[in-house]
Amino acid sequence: MTSAESATDLATAEALADFLRRVRHGIEDGLDPLYAAERAGVGVPGRLGEALATLIERMRGDYHEDEWGFDEGFAEAVYPFAELLYGIWWRVACEGARNVPSHGRALLVANHSGSLFPFDASMIVVAMMKEHPLPRWPRFMVLDWAFTLPFMSSFMRKVGGVPASRHNASRLLDQNQLVMAFPEGVKGTGKPFAERYRLQRFGRGGFVEVALRTRAPIVPVAVVGAEETYPKLGDSELLARATGAPFFPLTPTFPWLGLLGLVPLPSRWRIEFCEPIDLSGHPPDAVEDRRLLLDVTEQVRETIQEKVYENLVKRGPAFL
Amino acid sequence: MAAARRVVITGVSTQWGAELARRLDRDPAVSYIAGIDLARPPLDLGRAEIIEADPRSAVLARLLPTLEPDTLVHCGIVWYPEPGKPARALHDINVIGTLQLLAACERTPSLERIVVRGSAAIYGCEGAAPAFFTEELARTLPLRTTFQRDASELEGYFDNFARRHPDVSCCMLRYQPEIGAELDSPLVRYLTLPVVPTQLGFDPRLQLVHVDDAHGALEAAVRSDARGPVNVAPDGAVSLTRILRLSRRPTFAIPHPLFGPALARLGRRLGAGALYGDAVRFLRYGRGVDNRRLRSELGFEPALDALGAVRDFVERTSARRVGPTLHPGSLAGRLAGMGP
Repeated sequence: MTSAESATDLATAEALADFLRRVRHGIEDGLDPLYAAERAGVGVPGRLGEALATLIERMRGDYHEDEWGFDEGFAEAVYPFAELLYGIWWRVACEGARNVPSHGRALLVANHSGSLFPFDASMIVVAMMKEHPLPRWPRFMVLDWAFTLPFMSSFMRKVGGVPASRHNASRLLDQNQLVMAFPEGVKGTGKPFAERYRLQRFGRGGFVEVALRTRAPIVPVAVVGAEETYPKLGDSELLARATGAPFFPLTPTFPWLGLLGLVPLPSRWRIEFCEPIDLSGHPPDAVEDRRLLLDVTEQVRETIQEKVYENLVKRGPAFL
Repeated sequence: MAAARRVVITGVSTQWGAELARRLDRDPAVSYIAGIDLARPPLDLGRAEIIEADPRSAVLARLLPTLEPDTLVHCGIVWYPEPGKPARALHDINVIGTLQLLAACERTPSLERIVVRGSAAIYGCEGAAPAFFTEELARTLPLRTTFQRDASELEGYFDNFARRHPDVSCCMLRYQPEIGAELDSPLVRYLTLPVVPTQLGFDPRLQLVHVDDAHGALEAAVRSDARGPVNVAPDGAVSLTRILRLSRRPTFAIPHPLFGPALARLGRRLGAGALYGDAVRFLRYGRGVDNRRLRSELGFEPALDALGAVRDFVERTSARRVGPTLHPGSLAGRLAGMGP
């Protein structure tokens, strides 16, 4: 460490100590703690002062959250961590980000994998924010079960997740949002490692129905790399029943290494956004046409499967 | 609708019934107002004739036809236990009362319109529920609590009545919980606790209707001719954390399995009383409803959105607060049972 760096560190530490001292004096004088902190924070210089000001603003409820509970300030605060995973841990290569419309509604449909915690949604979000010329926060459909868990439910909501349902997807698209769906659902994340990159059934095509009804283009997204983050070698039905989880994966590290087992393996990733599929040419009553729904579902599924294989070849070895 | 209207309000001594009677009193197009309830309302309701009768008894079937109403407004549904109305009596009041009321309606041929002040509690509170319930989504999820089952049952009776009497337009209002500085409800008492217990790791989205909008929506429903269920809720939603931060109240997170019992104890000590059963789920998962029909069917425009209602509430409750804000030291004292 150079002497200049250590000097700034020292200054920051002093400013922090000074701040805490003034907060204490404020509270001792009978001020309410938040007000005392606000008053003490006025004199703090530089980035520390800015961070304190933002924190105090949030503590007073002066921030924005939309009707879904999405909290942009919170998402921005978590974003650097996801960006670190994107750039350094998984070295994600992204292609075709420009295929996503830069404004208006669109439905991103992707394959789903990563048994213990599917990071694919968060990496698509980072790809949109980093690689798209007009970045915006996509909203994503999350497995219902996550919303019954403490911490997970509020976290997911704050970063843009909503419970997976047609009603939520339609409403979001009607508000011209970018919505991400994973039609494979638990079948995709819960498949054994031996079946990696083989796409499962795409539900009953509910996502096509939503896209037809809201006249939103579908953008197929192929994700390669998430399968290797937590290779699912087996599962425990007993533990699944005990925890209420849809399945309980056993990976080479989890649950054997405890919390350490939650660290995802550093595989190499690729994300490709494909050409959008425009459905606005279909008449409004096309929603009733079961065959059309199944045809489009199959078309999307095949596009993603093809692109997944293509990107697997392009990626080469999984971890190097 | 006919030029001169005759309106009967059941449950007139509730805040909602009384305010409606007062608003209709000012309207020259309403020729006659009668209010039925167990006890007299504490306020003067102008022209309204107050009839003290038990809406759960068969007396109603003899009484109602003689009043010759064309509009019936039912405000008698009880949402939570109150002094004198324990939790066990709720089913009696809500379901049996509704049955008696509908039996009386059958014998009242002059009736043209029924408005019921119901509750959005029929949708329940689920983590995985749609973020905004539309009216047709009632009963698609399992009915979990007693109150939810009661709400569903009494709505069923009204649906049935509406089907058999197509000449009577029935409107079921589904209210989200109300909020207002002067309101005395368990939720308002909870939000004004000196320290507010929350459920660890949960941050529900809430839609709270401002009192003025709640009154306005009921009045609009009486004046309109809308049929079927209509959600009454403000635009948007606010998370509980944000409400509590805006009102600058210290919070205290309790693991969610312990929240119910802890709140019952803590609530008594802090002077809020227990919360009713649905509230524990409500404060864990929250609930959002779609309010498009409120505009399109009732033609009612809420004056405040969800955040506006909360801000208004915060301004008024903090203005009312006398003395300094709670100091951490005195808070500990109060929790230990030494305070008032």
